[in-house]
Amino acid sequence: MTSSSGEPLIWPFKRTDPLDPPPEYASLRADSPAVDVCLWNGDDAVLLTKFDDIRLAFQSPNFSADTTKPGFPFVNATAEASKKGQKAMMTRLDPPRHNEHRRMLMKYFTPKTIESHRPFVRELVEQLLIRVDTSDRAVDIVSELAFEMPVRLIFSILGMQMSESDFFLGRIQVAFSTEVTPQESAGAHHDIIEYCERLIVEREAAPGDDLISELVINQLQPGHLSREELQYMLLMILMGGIDTSANMTSLGVLTFLRNPDQLDLLRKDPSLVPGAIEELLRFLSIVHFTAMRLSTGETEFSTRTVPAGQRIIAPLGAANRDPDAFPNPDKFDITRSARSHLGFGSGVHQCLGQAMARMELQELFAELFRRFPKMELAVPEEDLVFHDSLVYALESLPVFLHGKSIEGER
Amino acid sequence: MKVHVDQHRCMGSGNCVDIASRVFSQREDDGISEVRPGDVPADAYEDVRQAAAVCPVLAIKILEDDTR
Repeated sequence: MTSSSGEPLIWPFKRTDPLDPPPEYASLRADSPAVDVCLWNGDDAVLLTKFDDIRLAFQSPNFSADTTKPGFPFVNATAEASKKGQKAMMTRLDPPRHNEHRRMLMKYFTPKTIESHRPFVRELVEQLLIRVDTSDRAVDIVSELAFEMPVRLIFSILGMQMSESDFFLGRIQVAFSTEVTPQESAGAHHDIIEYCERLIVEREAAPGDDLISELVINQLQPGHLSREELQYMLLMILMGGIDTSANMTSLGVLTFLRNPDQLDLLRKDPSLVPGAIEELLRFLSIVHFTAMRLSTGETEFSTRTVPAGQRIIAPLGAANRDPDAFPNPDKFDITRSARSHLGFGSGVHQCLGQAMARMELQELFAELFRRFPKMELAVPEEDLVFHDSLVYALESLPVFLHGKSIEGER
Repeated sequence: MKVHVDQHRCMGSGNCVDIASRVFSQREDDGISEVRPGDVPADAYEDVRQAAAVCPVLAIKILEDDTR
């Protein structure tokens, strides 16, 4: 497949609007929904753009997520450096070992367990919003709110000290980045693994009533998990549970500021909050670069059959903007029924922390705009900086919580 | 309506409980989904259908659907 100019199609494509997936997905979906593309290193891959095909790639046992397999696709050299080393991590394991790992963790992330953390998050959101409530200056949603919420929840569940959050967040940013060098990315992963090892050692010496202590006692000590596997399990929880919720928050706030009609609906009817969160997950699809698989058997997609050994790119954002799955897909509409979106992926690897993400976002979005209905951007939208990290990211989001008019009256 | 969860396939995503908690629950020790005992209430049929549709590992089978 080549573009109209005769050049090969090189994935990933660039976004033209910061909140929309690259426009190529829509045109390819119409003309050639399973198309040959070229990756950064010259490798070929099949790019899927239809909802049904992408969901099939996640649900079928014919696709491996094991990044150590020869020929596994990566978005670029930096992602290869960071993800190839994750040989013991659940997200990169195939069944049956994957399922054994996942069953060790599932009880901590069920809707029922997560519901028991809701009062903590409600209180946390209130405290954070009281702390930032000022009309004297612009408030940065990213650093003052979006990261604070998931970091404090995860650190509390894992029994970690908030005094270490700055070091940790700094390393996570580098580990997720696709813009640093491969060496920097691998270094950040190494530091996080060392940090996780220290958390394990501390709990071996003095177990508490936190999730890590339980995994040490119930899984590591009886030999169900190797030491390396536990290190990577903690890395996965920490990396999967913070940047994701944080960027959903900041990009979600921006989405509402850009769609004042939808913000009005939300403020007038708080019962719309859960559906609005599903729509944000669909609309933003922030996990935009990690949906890669290597086929291990022949699979029939809607328009072509793919043999074993084929690299597959299955972008969540392409599935979630398929008009056959979601009518008028580029409209942000909090009243639509978006619950079937693939924002958390699908298949055995579907997000373990999805109930947690839903609960955090529901609590935050229910309260944020109720308290600050006049919130406005404090900078021109063109000045906002977005990062094509493994999880799509907004660098900062300065807002006037009480609107610019109050700022002007001072 | 009769509904069944394939507990070998189940990955404990919790979608079924999130959507239809009157019909599904998750085992305390490992998060595997179970169908609650008793008849499925008629006003939960639509939720059960949605739960089956969004189950990421297609572990929910609706065996009999009397009102569709």
